[in-house]
Amino acid sequence: MNQPNQNYPIVDTFTVEINGTTCNALPGETVFTVAKRHGIEIPTLCHDERLAPVGACRVCLVEVEGQRRMQPGCAWVVTPNMKITTESSRIEKHRTILYSMYMADHQLDDDGLPIPTHNNNELRDLCKTITPLQLESVEAPRDARPADDNPYIEFNPDLCILCARCTRYCDEVEAVNAITLANRGGETTIATAGQRSLIETSCELCGGCIDTCPTGALIEKKAPKDLVQLSTQTTRTTCNFCGVGCQMDLHVHNDRLVKITSPEPGETLNDGNLCIKGRFAYDFVHHEDRISEPLIRGEDGKLHPATWDEAIELTANRLLDVKQKHGADSLGFISSSRCTGEENYLMQKLSRAAFGTNNIHQCAAT
Amino acid sequence: MQKPDADREAIIKLLEHGGVTESNVRQISEQTGVPEADIWGTGSFYHLIDSDEHHGPRARVCNGLTCRMFGADELAEQLQSEGRAVQRISCLGQCDLAPALLDEEMKLDTRAPHKTSVTPDDSDLPINLGGQRDLSYAMLAKAKQMDPAAVIEQIKVSGLQGRGGAGFPAHFKWSAVRQQAESERYMICNADEAEPGTFKDRETMLRRPHRMLEGLAIAATVIETNQIYIYIRGEYVNEYAALVQAVEDAAEPLAEFDIHIVQGHGAYICGEETALLESLEGKRGMPRLKPPYPIEYGFRGKPSLIHNVETIACVPAIIDRGGDWFRELGKTEAGAKLYCISGHIEKPGVYELPLGVTLDELVDAAGGYVGTPFAFSPGGASSGFLPIKFRDLPLDYRNLSEAGSMMGSSGVVVLNDTVDIVDAAAWQLEFFENESCGQCAPCRIGTQYLRRQVDKYIQIGDPATLEMTDDVGWEMEEGSICGLGMVAAKPLESAREHFPEAFKNRPAL
Repeated sequence: MNQPNQNYPIVDTFTVEINGTTCNALPGETVFTVAKRHGIEIPTLCHDERLAPVGACRVCLVEVEGQRRMQPGCAWVVTPNMKITTESSRIEKHRTILYSMYMADHQLDDDGLPIPTHNNNELRDLCKTITPLQLESVEAPRDARPADDNPYIEFNPDLCILCARCTRYCDEVEAVNAITLANRGGETTIATAGQRSLIETSCELCGGCIDTCPTGALIEKKAPKDLVQLSTQTTRTTCNFCGVGCQMDLHVHNDRLVKITSPEPGETLNDGNLCIKGRFAYDFVHHEDRISEPLIRGEDGKLHPATWDEAIELTANRLLDVKQKHGADSLGFISSSRCTGEENYLMQKLSRAAFGTNNIHQCAAT
Repeated sequence: MQKPDADREAIIKLLEHGGVTESNVRQISEQTGVPEADIWGTGSFYHLIDSDEHHGPRARVCNGLTCRMFGADELAEQLQSEGRAVQRISCLGQCDLAPALLDEEMKLDTRAPHKTSVTPDDSDLPINLGGQRDLSYAMLAKAKQMDPAAVIEQIKVSGLQGRGGAGFPAHFKWSAVRQQAESERYMICNADEAEPGTFKDRETMLRRPHRMLEGLAIAATVIETNQIYIYIRGEYVNEYAALVQAVEDAAEPLAEFDIHIVQGHGAYICGEETALLESLEGKRGMPRLKPPYPIEYGFRGKPSLIHNVETIACVPAIIDRGGDWFRELGKTEAGAKLYCISGHIEKPGVYELPLGVTLDELVDAAGGYVGTPFAFSPGGASSGFLPIKFRDLPLDYRNLSEAGSMMGSSGVVVLNDTVDIVDAAAWQLEFFENESCGQCAPCRIGTQYLRRQVDKYIQIGDPATLEMTDDVGWEMEEGSICGLGMVAAKPLESAREHFPEAFKNRPAL
């Protein structure tokens, strides 16, 4: 009786103090995680909760009692009774100078702020919270990949802050390792082996690097160049390229689909990820050759618009004709890899129960 | 994706031949199972590895403070005018032989009229650079007979502090590694000496490699491992050969140890202990966040004891003569110390003196000043500059720290009044800019910013160009991940603090 469930080992929780507020914490949690759960926001640029923290952007530095130096909230593991401060004059000074330094290494707009992109620019948002120092640009010699003719992913080194979210995502989430931090110091950049086009690397063009990039240094090549200035509506939908059921957000301007993104990590089953098809293969939507209604070939040999009822009835009758004439096993049914499990089930039901044949297959089931 | 059995540790060595080229990287990827991009990214981090920018036979001219004071820039120009390809290397560790270069075959070529001076043979010195070769390894035998706790106790009594720059008490680390539950442990020697002005480990490896190897073997015994790794900077070709020879000569007394000598490939930051570990693991030399410290999570994620060459070379003498003896050798702090001295003095070299000698006492040992001294850098680029009025300050960890400087690697450089302090500060800033790993923004952006602003000040002579440098320097110290970024503003800050006149107005170029 009252034995602890072995599947859920009991973990001792403890408390820490953040800005004077008592917060519950679990062993192994970071300051960032505990603070977030308690509604205390710690700014960060390099942190993505799907990735191991690296503490490289230094934006999330907080004060920890007993520590001489400020420590990165994204990586600092809490211990019982730890006292943490996320707002102080020292932290404010740190943020002001650090953001100003980032601005000296970033493309700015006419207002002197990091330029907005249609993939956001979190650095811009942070810089709006300070009165920046006017530092001259350092003009860091970061290489681009001018010869990269991949159709989907564009890299602008002038907006890159070297947080390495893209390279770590490519490694830790996708296990693809197509891109890397290369060179060092001010010359550090995001590169491929030999600076080849992404198409000529192990890259699967999933575009996850775009999604995780905090500053818009990586953007969708296909999106309109002036998309940032355009008003868009967003519609949540389910990707129908396969049966996984990834959720995606369609960005629509003037009834034109201009970009597809994934919902935030943690929100939906795809956890912030999409594949090349889901993210980029939407050209068919507005293509002139797209068939948007059933067509039935008439006596004249040409295709004529029809209703779904007409089309289905015709198909059913013709299939029954074949069965009557040649037997049920003269029929075969092949369902699509785009179908869900439920749809595949219905397809075999159709085959076996409605038409009486075991000739049922699914195109991805070889 | 990296294959589960990928041989990542091998890739940097493999890149030595052929460099960072597409075909070479592809071949190494196939051979080792490491993704191509990772190999490219790693290789491009290290400046001794051939790249698009630097490839083929080339002369490598030192760009360090002392070498620039002694005409390295002119030397580089001259070589170029002779049609030779030239690559500037941040520091070759040959400050006493300035200006230094490694020729196309990586052979040291120095133009200095003198040779390195060292303290003459004296058996009462712990390292004793002038001493005779001793292959007995008697202190290893003695330490093996002792209780490990007793060995650590002697190290504790000796007051031995880390000689690489941090000055951390050595015995703490020995105890901490011993206390780890994990039994796979590593003894690692940091021989990546690359701080401008510093060449003490060089002389130790050339003249007293067995002191170092014996110290490593004693420490390895105490932490119960037979795995010893020595990470030596790639520019130290002769020293590498000396170590290889020494390991061969001591094959018998060291038979139980696996000694791996790993060459660096041109990155000062790999002297930072966690960057060194990354480099050993075949990665870019980017420092790790601490904690966890290497005593707990070091090489291959296992407990590792890491010591500088000089620190570990003190150990046999401590076992021999006792911790008390060693401690008493010091003047203001425990022990004797290898001081490197170069610049405007008569006999540049490495002198083993009581810890806490003054600059005047050190320069006495080195034959006296040349010209009128006006400033010195007490412990490498990281320590900034002090005016000559500090000539009576004990050169130790506490006093230098209180003076706003640091003991660092005790690479002392003396500047006489022929040197422009603004130029000197600019050279040191250039060093940090070239050697920043680029991982964290305060250091990556800050080193570029400071160097550009000082260059601009030299160009136009307007002090307004330096207005923001204090703030940027503050953030570099507060916000950087590792020690490089924390001290990289020091040359400018200290120069401005101690020589304010030089930064008020200056004729435009």
